[in-house]
Amino acid sequence: MISRLSVILLAVGLAFGSAAAQTDSRATVLPLTTKSAKARRLVDQAWDLAVDQVEQVKGIKVLRKAVKADPNFAMGHEILAQMSLDPSEQVGEQRKAFATKRHASVTEQTIVDWFQDAAEHKLIPAITNMNDVLGKYPHDRWVVYLASNWLTQQTQFDRAAAVYEHSGIADSPGLMNNTAYSYAYMRQFDKAFALMDKYVVALPKDANPQDSYAEILRMAGHFDEAIEHYNAALAINPEFYSSQFGIADTYSLVGDQVRARQEYELAFRKFPLPALHRIEWKTREAITYIRDGDLKAADTAFQAIADYAHANGMSQVEADTYRQMAMCQIHSQQALLYLSKAETAIHEGNNVMPGAVQQEFAQILRARVELAIKTDDEQIADATLAQLAELSGNSDDKLIEAAYHGAAGALLFSQHDYEHAALHLEEDIHNPLSLKLLAAAYQKTGNTVDGKRTGEVLANLNDPTLEQAMIVPAFRRCIQNPSCDSGFTNASFKR
Amino acid sequence: MLKWRTVALALWMTAVSSLVHAKQLAIVVDSANATTNLTAADLSKIANLKTRNWPDGKLVTIIMRDPSAADMQLVLSRVLNMTPEQARTFIQAHKGAIQIADSDDSVLRFVSSNRGAIGIVDLYSLNKDVKVVKIDGKLPVEQGYLLRGN
Repeated sequence: MISRLSVILLAVGLAFGSAAAQTDSRATVLPLTTKSAKARRLVDQAWDLAVDQVEQVKGIKVLRKAVKADPNFAMGHEILAQMSLDPSEQVGEQRKAFATKRHASVTEQTIVDWFQDAAEHKLIPAITNMNDVLGKYPHDRWVVYLASNWLTQQTQFDRAAAVYEHSGIADSPGLMNNTAYSYAYMRQFDKAFALMDKYVVALPKDANPQDSYAEILRMAGHFDEAIEHYNAALAINPEFYSSQFGIADTYSLVGDQVRARQEYELAFRKFPLPALHRIEWKTREAITYIRDGDLKAADTAFQAIADYAHANGMSQVEADTYRQMAMCQIHSQQALLYLSKAETAIHEGNNVMPGAVQQEFAQILRARVELAIKTDDEQIADATLAQLAELSGNSDDKLIEAAYHGAAGALLFSQHDYEHAALHLEEDIHNPLSLKLLAAAYQKTGNTVDGKRTGEVLANLNDPTLEQAMIVPAFRRCIQNPSCDSGFTNASFKR
Repeated sequence: MLKWRTVALALWMTAVSSLVHAKQLAIVVDSANATTNLTAADLSKIANLKTRNWPDGKLVTIIMRDPSAADMQLVLSRVLNMTPEQARTFIQAHKGAIQIADSDDSVLRFVSSNRGAIGIVDLYSLNKDVKVVKIDGKLPVEQGYLLRGN
């Protein structure tokens, strides 16, 4: 670990001389404005639980007590909005943070504005507000936590890691954990493992370091070691459900879907879960059927999730589930039906931030474009892409933009305009669907170096997502088969 | 294990950052500068030192990262039309008019404290001390923005 002073010097740069002095003058801790000493104490407790021990559910309960103790505690509401696992609570607490910000300090008001801007897709003010706060309090744990989390959501993994490295905070296991994930997302596994080693040492009796280590090992393709670390986590804390599900996810990724489903079922029987976690792993379980090529069973599993989401007023989850079902369909009419259901659900908009409605709608439009490409309906593809372009043009949301570029790239690829397709697909490199096309587009334009590199990245993706399940195993099989021309045939499904 | 939002993010954001990310660069000027928009041609003339003054007569000073920095490739190809080596030679020959900074923070500090300065920074470095100038009527977050891509 580099020293605190070195970190500070690195953080500010040396070009204009006065930087080090400026850093020293900056306060370390952002004072939290509340009239209630109890509320302040509870927020400290929430940090220990939710961030450092990754006991999110317990931490959130404590935060609820904090804002109950002082309903005008704007930062309490904002932190709860950012930590909550319940979409309706996320929306409600953001509203409360904004409504009560007059009771907060100027810097706290800037934090609330930052997240309000982000929720309203006003990216430039959100960024400037974040940097304003980071400039004043680069060493404050809540500021560092909120900034690195938000930057991660923005796919700015290098910046998220830099915020931590520059903070000089060396004693927060939770921040080590989050930063290790940022490095892992950048596939800088050496740095991720180095942080994980420190994290394990910092909390030797805690299950989460072993669980995180396992997940990052899995991302790097070290499946056996991942399972060892998941088991180590469960040995420390048999109630640590994430590790039980992690074992299931890992078996799914290595291709043992029967064992994966056994592990999922075991976990669902053993552990009561928060709604979003339950949905997350129910979705993973449904994906095992996709990996098996058993679309009928996948439909049944996904439908149960959609029904659960509908019954519980979770419109985005319902919409996203129907969209995923549509993506897996062989028959276009069935896919269209699911996409219509997805649209109906998202327009109901129960417990969804306005920005999230647009994000989901963009994903649905993208799925419609891809379906139109499959059915050679260029007119529908063009019209839907135009709709998506308009949505993207009126927003500065990265997910919406990525959806547009992914769809535009796919359409141009289908029209054999590989050069322009690549330009769009490069803006959506987090999605295996686009990555597959991008690798092919590079190859077809003679850019074999980037084609090979992109193909390698795609082949080494180990995330238990639907897109990975649909694309990566088939891609791996294909690149190992000399008779497979491009490697870009879709997995076959049976009914 | 990470918190939900990060986990949810992984549904979209798989780990492919060993590939080149599309960049979004912002053109920034000091807050007192009245210019709000530049055409791509205007920007090219400024960068190539064919335009040396702002409309109010203030001398233009350009500050940017080293041309060999990965972030600057967009500027070289879409504004300067130079290779990194050509750009380095050009900058060396015009040291007073073009300055090189070692970080976006340095660019922002220089621009915010020097009337007539114009700088280029990553979108996510922006702060309140500078003003973002549109290019061809577009902000960095908008589709079709000039300094966006690989």
